[in-house]
Amino acid sequence: MAGISRRLRKWTNEMLDVPQDVLFDLPRITMVGNKELYIENHRGVRHFSPDKMVLSLSQGLLEIEGSGLMIRSILPEEVMIEGSVTNIKYTGTEESP
Amino acid sequence: MKIPTLTRVRGCVLIAVRGEHVEYFINALAENGVPVWDIEPKNGNLAEMKVLLRDFHALRPLLKRTGCRVHVQGRIGLPFTLVKLYKRKFFMVGIVLFFVLLFLLSSMVWNVRVTGNEKIATEDVLEAAKKEGVRPFKWIFRLDSPDKLSRELSIRLPGTSWIGVERKGTTITIQIVEAAEPPKQPLTDPRHLISRTDAVVTSIYAEQGRPLVEKNSRVKKGQVLISGILGVEGGNTQVVVAKGEVKGLVWHEYSLEVPLVQKHKVYTGERKTKSYFVIGDRAVQLWGYGKDPYQASETLTEHDPLTWRSLRLPVGWMTEKVMEVRESQETLTVEEAKKQGLDGAVRDILAKYGTDSQIISQKILHEKKENGKVYMKVLFEVEEKIAEELPIVHNQGE
Repeated sequence: MAGISRRLRKWTNEMLDVPQDVLFDLPRITMVGNKELYIENHRGVRHFSPDKMVLSLSQGLLEIEGSGLMIRSILPEEVMIEGSVTNIKYTGTEESP
Repeated sequence: MKIPTLTRVRGCVLIAVRGEHVEYFINALAENGVPVWDIEPKNGNLAEMKVLLRDFHALRPLLKRTGCRVHVQGRIGLPFTLVKLYKRKFFMVGIVLFFVLLFLLSSMVWNVRVTGNEKIATEDVLEAAKKEGVRPFKWIFRLDSPDKLSRELSIRLPGTSWIGVERKGTTITIQIVEAAEPPKQPLTDPRHLISRTDAVVTSIYAEQGRPLVEKNSRVKKGQVLISGILGVEGGNTQVVVAKGEVKGLVWHEYSLEVPLVQKHKVYTGERKTKSYFVIGDRAVQLWGYGKDPYQASETLTEHDPLTWRSLRLPVGWMTEKVMEVRESQETLTVEEAKKQGLDGAVRDILAKYGTDSQIISQKILHEKKENGKVYMKVLFEVEEKIAEELPIVHNQGE
């Protein structure tokens, strides 16, 4: 069933040209230089320190490295991070859809 | 982003959260929809963040669930300021008092100015204004309206044609336009017009009063020409100021003597200027040395001291003009001498009896030449004003 549903969504995506984050519940990451990071569709904070921040996503984790990191504001599905970001890394998403 | 608005007014708290898993606490906050911002991780399981004062008590169950401890680091916003101010009551009272005082003092009359008056004294205007309630240290809001004030003031102040009252801040300006009064007529008592001399009336015009003589009638000195008593004698009478013009023929006799040889002083136009420098009451001559070359001369002295403003300094110039004079003799014929004498007499008549006098005729009664002089006796017949005022005195023999 899951396979069918995923295929259907992929087909819809191809036919209607709808952004993937809407269909697949993927995070949308917006970055302003390396100062601001704006993440939609997150699933909570896993780790939290000035140098490293780990956010859980619907699938896998998002690791943010940098210095002087802070959460400017946080909502159930959105988070805005400030600081100087040096590294953004996806983990736990090796399984291809 | 989603930082609550007006945090300063609503009040917010800077808290430090300590615990094994601060992340859980943050997640719990986000899930419960508690606005939280400026979350700053510190070393050693510590995070600082800001929450609204309103939500502070809602943190408690979340803290318990996630096993964190909270410590208030700072209080920001109006509610805390108010509490602080409430503790400093007298400071608050001072602020309020300041504004109250400012309001009260600015709603008081401090100055009353009077402009535009020339004849009416400022003190009188101020006195009248005081009676209307316009004086310093009076509440502005208790004054009448400017329209009413100006109306009342113009009733109180005669001799004004318009009064404007204007308030600007704490100053009240009373603007006055004085009435242009007609020149006052000299007060006159009831009077008759009587004759000044013996004369024959040539014209009589009574503006006020009762004419008693007619044209061509002979009048004696002191005779009433225009009476100031109207009405019948013994009946209803009214006393008025007699006014009018009476002209009559008057005879003047002049005895004239005119010398036939007349001496005049005449300036020849030759002159010499001497200049002096004056210090104190000493003068040092600078120009014009040498003897005066004239037989007869007149000297005109002009002193011109230096002045500063209205102060006369003791230093200055003096000039002397020495002008040559020559005496000239003129010999008149008898005819010329007569003419000169008559002209002089006519001028004298015009000066004495008014310039509108008219010489009707002149007769030379007697004429002789003796000792280089012409002697004459002339009779002039002159038409001139003969009226003179005589006050009517009441209770005189009545």
